[in-house]
Parts: sequence; structure tokens; C-alpha cells
Amino acid sequence: MDQEVLTTLKLLMIGETNVGKSSILLRFTEDEFNENMQSTVGMDYKTKQITIDGNTVKLAIWDTAGQERFRTLTPSYYRDGQGAILMFDVTDRHTFTKLETWLNELNTYCNKIDIVKMVVGNKNDLPNREVSMEEGLEFARRHQTLYIESSAKTADGVRCCFEELVEKIIQTPGLWEANSTRMYGGDSLGGTRHRLGKRGVQLTDDYEPQNPYSNCYCSLV
Amino acid sequence: MEDVLDEVVSSEDLKKFERVYHEQLHASNVTQNAQFEYAWCLVRSKYSADIRKGIILLEDLFNKEGEALKRDCIYYLAIGNARIKEYTKALSYVRAFLQIEPGNQQVQHLETTIKKKMEKEGLVGMAVAGGVIIGLASILGLGIAMAKKG
Ligand SMILES: Nc1nc2c(ncn2[C@@H]2O[C@H](COP(=O)(O)OP(=O)(O)O)[C@@H](O)[C@H]2O)c(=O)[nH]1
Ligand SMILES: [Mg+2]
Repeated sequence: MDQEVLTTLKLLMIGETNVGKSSILLRFTEDEFNENMQSTVGMDYKTKQITIDGNTVKLAIWDTAGQERFRTLTPSYYRDGQGAILMFDVTDRHTFTKLETWLNELNTYCNKIDIVKMVVGNKNDLPNREVSMEEGLEFARRHQTLYIESSAKTADGVRCCFEELVEKIIQTPGLWEANSTRMYGGDSLGGTRHRLGKRGVQLTDDYEPQNPYSNCYCSLV
Repeated sequence: MEDVLDEVVSSEDLKKFERVYHEQLHASNVTQNAQFEYAWCLVRSKYSADIRKGIILLEDLFNKEGEALKRDCIYYLAIGNARIKEYTKALSYVRAFLQIEPGNQQVQHLETTIKKKMEKEGLVGMAVAGGVIIGLASILGLGIAMAKKG
């Protein structure tokens, strides 16, 4: 049965090549994993609907290999993004160090100031870790982002990553209401709040972290 | 479900990259990047005239020196052709790509999407009858470009 879609959210996959951005996306959208994933061509775009607490939202997720020749296209990639997944590989310190640069780029080009950011330490199924969870959390705390660790291979943390991100976006007033206004016309806000059920209350208040640890070690710090 | 074939370029982007391209064209000095970026916008336009123009620009790029852009060109040639319902052509680009990178999930997915679209439009038989209409030999030159990628 087709559920009524509350809104469409634009999410961005950001991070160094080879950290597993496309693999996480593939795991999330198709529940598949590919050991020999090839590097992303151009800009990939996938959509998926998810229902959280009775609210169905459509996710439009953008992924790119981040090649040099796509540099000038960068602003288009970031424009109107409402959520960003900043990914590094826990077995490769360099990819963690580079997060700072990616975050700067995101802050430079993203036109939504309160875009929700989630730092993701991927490949946590591998034994040869170079970045500890404490370091990851510390980075996230410093930059006020969410944090989670994941594995595209075992599917660990993948659903949670997207769910937490979407939940936080929905709880952030002003990030997505413009979209729903377009969808519901004049009396949109009343209708939207009603549809939001128990979380709807939060739209009228300033955002307060509800249960940052929820069902996994996803953390708002 | 919406997919890469439905995604539409913003008019802001189209205008921006069109301006850059035309400025360079006017100065008789079009860089490959500017041509690619403009074409990338055109093939994602909602107007088929734009898409056709984008395809011409991509084909031109594809035949030029410089291997770096070929992989992206062929991917967007498949997308552009599929968007104007030139499915046979689109699929032959997809197959050429997969001949070089057989396991490429993204392109496999594009193939499935195109086939689903054809099925919906009752065109399944056509693809089989159509055969390969682009020069595979030239596309196979891609192997070099793709082997070099980081
Ligand atoms: N062991 C393991 N390998 C992974 C994981 N995620 C991705 N990979 C592998 O890492 C490589 C790069 O993945 P890819 O998704 O292409 O990275 P991207 O460049 O960031 O999109 C591929 O060979 C994947 O199979 C993971 O969680 N665990
Ligand atoms: Mg990728």
C-alpha cells in the first residue's frame, strides 16, 4: 500500500573515495553488499521511502566519487541538502583526518545552515582499526554532529544511521517545512503537525535531544 | 519509484553552466570540463531538445583526446538516450560499459531501470532486435582509461 509521503529530504554522502559511501547506500536501498564495488560514476542518485514513527518520508540520496573534475559541480551537489553523511573508514586514519576538509566544504557550500550532519565510521567489521570510537565521538562532539559506526558488509548500523538522521531532520524546525507547505497547500502546517503524531509537538518547540542514544550507540554530542 | 532517469537538473544549474560554455565558445576556447558540465546539465533537462543537444556534446567529448572523461561520458550518454526513449542506444552504452567493468553495480542498476521502463512501455522485444549500433571498438579504448582510475 502506498503511504502518503510527508516530505522529500535531500541527503548527501560525503567523504574520501573508498570509505564505503556507495556500499552503505547500496546496503540501505537494496540490502546488498559487493566486495568489488567499483568507483562511482558521475553523480549517483537513489531514492528510498522510509517510515519513522508513522511518518513516511522520501529520501533522495546523492552520492559521488568526488573526483577532481567534478569540483565545479560541487555547489550543485550541496545545494538544498537537508542531511549529510560524513563518512570515514575506521581502518584508515587518513580518511578520518580528511573529514575536517569535507566538513569545511559542506559548511561553505550548503545553503541550509542547520543541515543535520552525521559522522559515520564505516567498516567496523574489520579488525585492523586505526581510529577508535572515542576519537570518532570526540570529533563529532567538537563539531556538533551525530555519530555512528557501521558496516556495509554486515549491515550493522546502516538502517540506524539513516533513521537517526531523518528523525533529527524531522525534529529540526525550518529544515523541511517549506517542502511540506508546497505539498499540502494552504493549511499545510496544521495538517502536517497533526500527521506527525507524538513527535509533532517538537516542531513547535525548540529542538531538544530526546534520546540521543536510542536503540544504538548513535550519539548527539 | 523515482530514479536516476527521473532526476531533473535545476534551471539555475543549467543556466550557469550554459553561460560558461557559451562564453568559452565565443572565445573559441571550450575546455573539456565546461563542455562536460554543460552536457551533464542538458541530459538531465526535462526537454528532449536539451537532452539531444547534451548527447551531441557528450559524443563529441567521447571522441576527443583525453581518456579521463570517457567513463563519465558513456554513463551519461546511456542516461540521456534512455530519457529520450532511445532505449536500444542507451542499452548499448550500458553494455559497452559493463564489458569493461562487468561488476559495476551502479551501471547494472541503470540497466535494470532502463529495462523496467521499456517493459512498462511494452518495448521489450525491440532491444533484442536492435543489436549494437555504436562502435564497440572505440568504446573498448575505454579500458585504458578505466584501468588507470584511482
Ligand atoms: N569489510 C568492509 N568492506 C567495505 C565496507 N564498506 C565498503 N567496503 C569495501 O570498500 C570498498 C570501497 O567501497 P565503496 O562503497 O566503493 O566506497 P566509496 O568510494 O566511498 O563509495 C569496496 O571494495 C567495498 O566492498 C564495510 O563496511 N566493510
Ligand atoms: Mg562511491
